[in-house]
Amino acid sequence: MAALTPYTYIQCPCSDSSTLGRSSGPNSPTGSEGDEDDRTFDPRAPRSNYSLYPLEYLLYCEDCHQIRCPRCVSEEIVTYYCPNCLFEVPSSTIKSEGNRCTRSCFQCPICIGPLAVTSVETKPDPGLLAATDNTAAPHSGPYALTCSYCNWSSTEVGIKFDKPNSIHAQLAKLRNGGTTRLTAKERKERRKDPSYRSQAAATTGSEGGAGPGKEEKLDLETQFANLKSFYQRQLADPNSADTGLASLSDLGFSSPTSLSRIMSIYTGGSLQDKKAKSRVGAMREALESDEGLQIADLDESAAIDKLQTDGHDGTASTAQLLDQIPNLGEAHLHGRSRFLSELRPIPYLLRAKRSKRCPVCRHIISKPEAKIQTTRFRIRLVAGSYIPSLAIRPLSLSSASSTSSSGASVPGALLEPLKPTHFLLTFRNPIFDTIKVTLGAPAKTPGRFPSKVTVLCPEFEIDANTDVWDEALKDSGERERERERERRARRGGFEESTTTSSSNNHNNNNNNNAQNQLEVGKIWERGRNWVSIVVEVVPPSLKLGDSTGDGGGVLREDEDVLEIPMFVRVEWESEGGGDEVAVAARDTSGGSKEAREKRELAYWCVLGLGRIRRS
Amino acid sequence: MSRRPPRGEYIETDTGNKVARKATLVGTQNIMLGGKTVIQPEVMIRGDLIRTIQASSQSASGAPPNNTAVSIGRYCFLSRGCCLRPPGRLYKGTFTYMPLRMGDHVFVGPGSVIQAASVGSHVHIGTNVVVGEFAIIKDYVRILDGTVVPPNMVIPSLSIVAGQPARLIGEVPEGGHEAFELRDLYKTVGNNPQPAPS
Amino acid sequence: MSSKRHSILPPVSQSGPKPPVHFSSSITIADSALLIGTNLIVIHSESVIHPRAKLDSLAGRITVGRRCIVHERATLGAVGTSGKITEAAVTLGDYVTVEVGASIEAGETVIGEGTVVGVGARVGAGAVVGKHCTLTPHTEIAAGEVVPDFTVVYSNGMRRTDKRGVAELKNKGQARQIDVLRRMIPSNPAKFA
Repeated sequence: MAALTPYTYIQCPCSDSSTLGRSSGPNSPTGSEGDEDDRTFDPRAPRSNYSLYPLEYLLYCEDCHQIRCPRCVSEEIVTYYCPNCLFEVPSSTIKSEGNRCTRSCFQCPICIGPLAVTSVETKPDPGLLAATDNTAAPHSGPYALTCSYCNWSSTEVGIKFDKPNSIHAQLAKLRNGGTTRLTAKERKERRKDPSYRSQAAATTGSEGGAGPGKEEKLDLETQFANLKSFYQRQLADPNSADTGLASLSDLGFSSPTSLSRIMSIYTGGSLQDKKAKSRVGAMREALESDEGLQIADLDESAAIDKLQTDGHDGTASTAQLLDQIPNLGEAHLHGRSRFLSELRPIPYLLRAKRSKRCPVCRHIISKPEAKIQTTRFRIRLVAGSYIPSLAIRPLSLSSASSTSSSGASVPGALLEPLKPTHFLLTFRNPIFDTIKVTLGAPAKTPGRFPSKVTVLCPEFEIDANTDVWDEALKDSGERERERERERRARRGGFEESTTTSSSNNHNNNNNNNAQNQLEVGKIWERGRNWVSIVVEVVPPSLKLGDSTGDGGGVLREDEDVLEIPMFVRVEWESEGGGDEVAVAARDTSGGSKEAREKRELAYWCVLGLGRIRRS
Repeated sequence: MSRRPPRGEYIETDTGNKVARKATLVGTQNIMLGGKTVIQPEVMIRGDLIRTIQASSQSASGAPPNNTAVSIGRYCFLSRGCCLRPPGRLYKGTFTYMPLRMGDHVFVGPGSVIQAASVGSHVHIGTNVVVGEFAIIKDYVRILDGTVVPPNMVIPSLSIVAGQPARLIGEVPEGGHEAFELRDLYKTVGNNPQPAPS
Repeated sequence: MSSKRHSILPPVSQSGPKPPVHFSSSITIADSALLIGTNLIVIHSESVIHPRAKLDSLAGRITVGRRCIVHERATLGAVGTSGKITEAAVTLGDYVTVEVGASIEAGETVIGEGTVVGVGARVGAGAVVGKHCTLTPHTEIAAGEVVPDFTVVYSNGMRRTDKRGVAELKNKGQARQIDVLRRMIPSNPAKFA
């Protein structure tokens, strides 16, 4: 069983049905009236997965005074860039060229590693092993894209390049196997050119060998272009060939009139006036290759032959096919056989820097600088600087009370069923005002295996955060000592072994000091801007059958994880007109104390404490 | 700092570097440490693999040859058993090593092997990661445990990568920037370590 | 730098007997390489053994071919699960590269010519890896497995065939690299003789 480090997830209010203006309904676990305070949030409810986030992922809207999550913010793209060459791509290029890098950045179609342009050297002369013979060679001759991870080379699919730069443009003109491919512009020109048409017909006719009846083989783009122009012509020309009357007798598949006929039956025909009828009736489907008709090539013997020679190793996996850019003018969909030789280098998908807006008030709550090379943000209102952070740590009490309590002090250790276990919750206040925290947790966690939960101190105050500079200016050692003194003073004459015990991160204080016993309503420990409290948990026994098992005889996935839903309410007083004043300004203008404003923020969070030992 | 034991586990330099006595540093004259960097036991740094051919532009400008093979910024943390070595390749027919540059606040997890051309600042490299030759890792990047970053890969800022070979699996969230700070971690090791702040 | 020392190299634990060796005169072996065991260790011409590479002949003879590079912390002849003693524990062909921290277990294990054993890769006892193979970092080859020539093992055990046909070129590159390494790594074969 994988170890589980304690975690805290916070619920974004956007998933709360009450904020959506709907009542929560009778199916909420305990609430009958849909009153917010009465409902217990169930971390195991299927929807909870989508509303819980670690604190780092949450933003905060200063205007709405509310938490915002990645799911509810609206994003706007600031800059597009290629993740490989880190060049910015202007949005005009995105419109014309698409969302892939058009320089020379490609990913390996086999393993998705980056591809590098290397020169394909002609076989070195075995007679010349002198040291200088290949000094000039790497900078000439054909080039290929090679993967330095899996050693794939574009020569495997018959692609070589003449120049080492602008590979994207070169690749666009090459098919696998090395034959040229026309760009859209060239195709258009070629289509207009009558001499090409006759020539093309001649070549296909001769090499096809299937006789003169065979249609011209179209590639995907040409077919699409032909079809498009054909339908545009059809739409533009209302009375081309057929009349409405003729269409009635036409039941062929090549005409959409059958559809319109059915439509007219069901709509009673009255809605369709004569003009519309004739117009719809004029449509027909493509009948020649000029119009975009492409007869499906159902002869798969070539693919079967290839499969017999190459075997399974020659075929591409689903993942590899999914990584390919769709419809890049390769084989037709019906003719696509899935061989490695048909894979093409994948141009890098562009990435974007995005700014985020509050979904309610539309204010920007996160905005990165546009330049690609910088990681600075112009605006970055993260929830971590507004709501207290919560750290969880197992607490092992004096060894006198329980002999094997050391098991719980190791993070990630399994929790013993039916044995009271203690956890230390440390709340750290990020804001420059004293906050009052009120916690609410159900006495029993929801689910098939309810754990008993007791928050020993559900109401406390945390001192204000101080300016980072005050802290930085002090010598770190001195600060540490001062904190230590403060700690001792608070705990009341508990003098020995604090330094040594706190040097261990997991705070293995095995002291039998009477002062350190758990007391209801008392804070465990307090610091400059943090407070630790104790939560007592009695994990359930994970025995199936005798408990309230609703059908399931087996333990479901992660059902052994002890998760506590906890409602956190934070209250503080801030300077008035906080809507206008930024947080940074708030503590500098500390002098004017007119109209302190009461603020409140409340949210659900889930504390994941650990896994329970299976009996 | 008052009662320093005569011979601790670490050598603490004037600039605040803490270098374990059990670390293997080959070619120390070519290893630049920015200060406040922790090098744990069994770390290996190959400073002896220096560049053998200078860039043509540099030699033309008459600048003195720079022999730095590995340069490390401030507040880096090299965990037990990791290995830093300069990347090498054939350049115009001759083989040469190129310097490995590392920014500030870079965490390198235990057992990882780094052969990148450059690692930015605020980078977290997990346990048993292999960073291939000439990879470029930008700032605020998190590389999860066991990842194999293929040679020449560029990992842009604020990326989370994993897998063999590495691929982008997520973005560092806006609130996750502070987690890359290694100042507190720096204090927890050395000859008289201080507890991690709770 | 405050330190004037050229290296900080804590002493290696030279545990076990000093093995008999047979070195070509043109090899480069770092002073801090670790050679232990009771059987013969053969290193052919122009091969390079990096600092802290470990060659263990306790379970049989170790043979390193011509122009091989064994990087730091690589282990040849790691005693695997079998623990058998065989005639030839590990045999490297010519132009083999064993990358940082890779481990090749003892027990008639053969690595073919021009093969690259990637960073942290493991080759099990008795495996026979063909010529010009590439084992990407962290690859594991099971004991006794036979890997055909030109195989690339990547992404946790996926396999494909290297069709680049650059074997000769790669060997030449290896020779260039050795040229440079010979100048950089102070060789001390006398220490092991």
